[in-house]
Amino acid sequence: MKVAALVLAASTALAACASDEASSGSGGGGSEGGSDEPRIGLAFDTGGRGDRSFNDAAVAGLETAVEEHGGEFRDLSPNADASNRADLLTQLADEGYNPIIAVGFAYGEVIGDVVEQYPDTQFAIIDSSAEEVGAGNLTGLLFAEEQGSFLAGVAAALKSETDHIGFVGGVESPLIQKFEAGYVAGAQAVNPQITIDRQYISPAGDFSGFNAPDRGLLVAQGMYEAGADIVYHAAGGSGLGVFQAAAAAGKRAIGVDSDQFQTVDDPALQAVIMTSMLKRVDNAVSAYIDSYVDGSIEGGSDIVYDLEADGVGLSTSGGQIDDIQDQIDDYRQQIVDGEIEVPTTP
Amino acid sequence: MSVLRRVGLALFAPVLAVVVAVLISSAVMAALQVDPLRAFEVMVDFGDTPSQQVTALVVVLNRAVPLFLAGLAVAIAFRMGLFNIGVEGQYRLATVVAAGVGAAVVLPGPLHVLLIVLVAMAVAAVWAGIVAVLKVTRGVSEVISSIMLNVIALGIASFLLTGPLRGSPEGASIISTAEIPESGWVPSLNGVLGALGLANPPRQLYGFLLVAVVVGAVIAVLLNRTRFGFDLRAAGLSPSAASASGVDSRGMVVKTMLLSGAVAGLIGLPDLLGSTHAYTTDFTSGLGFLGIAVALLGRNKPIGIALGALLFAFLDRALVPLQIQDFPASVVTIIQGTIVLAVVVANEVARRVARRSAERGSGPAAAVAGDGSTGPGQSTGGPGAAGGEGTGAGVSRTTGAGQRTDERQETGA
Amino acid sequence: MATAGTPAGAPAGPSAGGTGAGGGDAGAAPLAVELRGITKRFPGVVANKDIELRVRRGEVHAIVGENGAGKSTLMKTLYGEHRPDEGQILLDGREVSFRSPADAIAAGIGMVHQHFMLADYFTVLENVVLGSEPTRGGRLDRATARRRITEISERYGLGLRPDDLVEDLGVGDRQRVEIAKVLYRNARTLILDEPTAVLVPQEVDELFGNLAELKREGLTVIFISHKLDEVRKVADAITVIRRGTTVGTADPRTTTARQLAEMMVGTELPSPEIRTSTVRETPVLQLREVTVAAPTGRPPVDDVTLTVREGEVVGIAGVEGNGQAELVDAVMGLRPLATGTVRLGGDDITAWSTRARREAGLGFIPEDRHRQGMLLDAPLWENRILGHQTRPPAVKGPFIDRRAARADTARIMRDYDVRAPGPDTLAVALSGGNQQKLIVGREMSARPRLLLAAHPTRGVDVGAQGAIWRLLEEARAEGMGILLVSADLDELIGLSDTLHVMLRGRLVATLDPSAVTPEELGGYMTGAQTAAGAA
Repeated sequence: MKVAALVLAASTALAACASDEASSGSGGGGSEGGSDEPRIGLAFDTGGRGDRSFNDAAVAGLETAVEEHGGEFRDLSPNADASNRADLLTQLADEGYNPIIAVGFAYGEVIGDVVEQYPDTQFAIIDSSAEEVGAGNLTGLLFAEEQGSFLAGVAAALKSETDHIGFVGGVESPLIQKFEAGYVAGAQAVNPQITIDRQYISPAGDFSGFNAPDRGLLVAQGMYEAGADIVYHAAGGSGLGVFQAAAAAGKRAIGVDSDQFQTVDDPALQAVIMTSMLKRVDNAVSAYIDSYVDGSIEGGSDIVYDLEADGVGLSTSGGQIDDIQDQIDDYRQQIVDGEIEVPTTP
Repeated sequence: MSVLRRVGLALFAPVLAVVVAVLISSAVMAALQVDPLRAFEVMVDFGDTPSQQVTALVVVLNRAVPLFLAGLAVAIAFRMGLFNIGVEGQYRLATVVAAGVGAAVVLPGPLHVLLIVLVAMAVAAVWAGIVAVLKVTRGVSEVISSIMLNVIALGIASFLLTGPLRGSPEGASIISTAEIPESGWVPSLNGVLGALGLANPPRQLYGFLLVAVVVGAVIAVLLNRTRFGFDLRAAGLSPSAASASGVDSRGMVVKTMLLSGAVAGLIGLPDLLGSTHAYTTDFTSGLGFLGIAVALLGRNKPIGIALGALLFAFLDRALVPLQIQDFPASVVTIIQGTIVLAVVVANEVARRVARRSAERGSGPAAAVAGDGSTGPGQSTGGPGAAGGEGTGAGVSRTTGAGQRTDERQETGA
Repeated sequence: MATAGTPAGAPAGPSAGGTGAGGGDAGAAPLAVELRGITKRFPGVVANKDIELRVRRGEVHAIVGENGAGKSTLMKTLYGEHRPDEGQILLDGREVSFRSPADAIAAGIGMVHQHFMLADYFTVLENVVLGSEPTRGGRLDRATARRRITEISERYGLGLRPDDLVEDLGVGDRQRVEIAKVLYRNARTLILDEPTAVLVPQEVDELFGNLAELKREGLTVIFISHKLDEVRKVADAITVIRRGTTVGTADPRTTTARQLAEMMVGTELPSPEIRTSTVRETPVLQLREVTVAAPTGRPPVDDVTLTVREGEVVGIAGVEGNGQAELVDAVMGLRPLATGTVRLGGDDITAWSTRARREAGLGFIPEDRHRQGMLLDAPLWENRILGHQTRPPAVKGPFIDRRAARADTARIMRDYDVRAPGPDTLAVALSGGNQQKLIVGREMSARPRLLLAAHPTRGVDVGAQGAIWRLLEEARAEGMGILLVSADLDELIGLSDTLHVMLRGRLVATLDPSAVTPEELGGYMTGAQTAAGAA
């Protein structure tokens, strides 16, 4: 037993230390930051760089910005239980990085104290509101995920042959519930009688649902077997399992955050990705850097990236939704015009 | 002379552990084409200004406090041969309930804190007690039942957080319990830092540090100086000998698990009462599992666990500066893991060396040693057999008087 | 100093070669095993010094000496478990150097340990091949293994059936499995470590029959023992070890047991005989119709009724595994009774916990001191506390009184001649005899009303054995009641006032120890002889 305990402890110790992001390292721009070139700091949440989705999109935005304005950037990953989020921010600030971008709503809890401590540094936080903090050096970068998801729901309802679709959420958190709410509203706008299976992989507080492809596969498999022919996932890394289930069942799926048709390597999986609900974190990040460079940042406020601002939308790679593009555009216009009000909670 | 020898042996293990850890991790770093000297330099560099240095110290201490408590909770059970892998679920459930209770009542300062602490200890102790009851009444291995109860505890915690104890507004991106009023907070120790002539850092040093020190001291006394502790340790060293000496093994399992659980209930409180003041969806998780590693690192002794927790916290803090200094995050985690593993290995080596020297140092008066009946475990010629039996026996130890033949296998394996 | 000059083993062996020649003498058959000047030191201790040993091929060579004399260290040297600091090991005249037991096995040396190392739920075949399994295509080749085991069993008269579960075997059979295991690995020289310690007389005779078979097939046996009568019966030559060195060799046919004993310890043999009866009227322990149930099969203890009075030693004889261990557990409260009552003095303690029983004056010398008597990884002073956690001098209120416990441990070490550096020494560092003396001292110090002594002198040397016997006699004279469970028939007959024989869980005979011989007693124990004798 002693040996067993030792082995177990050693492995947990290793596992605890190892968050499996691929690699970090120095950022893009080669030139040493000149005085007016930005040195940008980026703090990831767990899951970190290499998720081919949300976090990588933020890096892509930075790379674009650095290409345009020069400078350099530095990205940091937290420890396994992400208990050191505040340290990441303060370290970046201490090292003189400015502006600093916190990726993920979880930073909302700690960023208030940090921005107070470094009044001369500009901060941005993705997916969390800056208005409640009310500090002049913090900007919230928010997305109208429900609007993009509404269009995903429209596309799914139009394309479904069985009038039965599904939604797989990673973690039952308010953020993911926004995806669910928009998707359901969109689908029902097209077909009020449509059957929509909705399921979350893990409950609130248990973040394993974002990184459990095996469980994503099981959940989606159940939906396909129950008759759904299109499943939309908002489950981060678990989405891969949803695609695998779709491929195995010969059905289709909708990706999330980035254009997953482009980022998934396997052609077999590519074939099942009908479209992806884009969340243009890259656009938001590069636009934020642009405004930092030209000095137009208005602190203390939120910038909402919605359909109108092209902050969210549907991808068209693979051409599977080309035939319904007109109807989608029609709904999009109605949302932009305010004729359709998309709910944010299911 | 014998005192010198004892001190020497006591120091031998940690010194060897550090040396081995440094050597192994240097080798691994070299293999990864990372300069070990530079890496160690970055790890021990706590910053330039006094404020930065004290902040780094506070970060390490704040991280070490919950890890220490987690290690302690695991170690209490280990000392009697129980593997409480359920510390994780115990503290998560305890923290959410304590946060809910703390937010629901208003009491004068110390009483409010005391109530929260007692609620947390009670909830975790009850949860751990289920494991004990299943074991003594139904013979369920505590490893299995506590893993199962972890899953259930997380489910209940999640239900409570999103349901009855939800305090955050609908649609907020982080779900949390209602905030505990200020009377239920544990004040920081930054005043003490000031009194010591240290810079006052922007970070709050958890006041719970003192509680952890007191708990550690109480547990140390309890284990080493009391009858209860003697019974507990005897049951861990040899369940059969303890039973024969009059220790009620079933009662001991229950008491030990309750104690282990009660300490586990404290794990979440440094963060809860020192900084977050509410249980949220992002409340630090995984401390229960880290506690297992910390306990083994500290060889289940309170002082060792404190050192182990500090080592973990130190390595954790080093993660950020190493990344800043261009060490890839993946390399950093490899370094961390290697150091921990090396310490565990070195610990074990040191323990064996110490034991061997004890075995050899027999009866100088008689000028003889190595009598046949001293070392049942030494017979290398044994078949190395009965592996399955051996582990089984470990799990079902408290079921009582096994047959003599079982004993033979254990010694042979 | 070694007395290597003593004529070695005189004319005993079949090949009476020149004794001084050793391996270099090519003319005579070379010695199977020869040790020259072996010295083994451990820090601060010399365990073996100038050991000289000459064992001829095809003989049974006994090594006798007190426990702690260094026999086991010597055998570990020969079996490759550690390397000697000085001296040479020669096998068949060639010098060898073993780095591990694997080397020794490869050189044809096999060891049968005193404590068997068998997996209960495996068959004989599986146990024998374990560790050197014949494989064919990665799978256990049972056919080959069965053929070889059957062949070995027939050739040496071991009578093993390859498919029997070891669990179902008796002690003697288990020992033969161990022997088969060694033979399976092609051993030419077998080391048997105290092989008779666990056997009853009939089984001992069987074992000696097996040894004769081995000898006839040309194998060499090194036989470690301190039972001098047995040694004289079976050995062709004897080497005596005392205090880590060889003090001489003897011819079993011309040396008496008493002479051998004097070589071993330099003093006269202790005798367990009790001269006068000290039995008083008051009963201290009364068992009434005690039955211990087993989940399946017959109850291990079946309707046992007996009484121990003050100043009386009641002996329980029986072949191991006939319920003695369960009876002991039942008296200690470690095993629930199905029916019956246990009274200690005037109290009915049937439902009492073990701790309450101990506090009420029950002392316990367990059968297996490693399992039930000691915390091997704890210092001696903590072992002093074990079993007396609630009584002075170990405790002060809820706290352990370390100082008093240490002081009292030092006292026990003095009074009971426990040889160890000090109270802080780990128990594991002591020899078996010293461990046992500590246990006896500890239990006696609490002045129990009834002492439950299970195999109190098992595996201890002659010196300690005599000391323990004397202590039991003194305690008895002072009025302590003693329930003695033992496999040593001399001990039972010599110490007991009343002797019960236990067979298949029942008390089948009550004998007068002054009127029974070991052979008769053995007959009752195996059920060969039946009588409802009156005490």
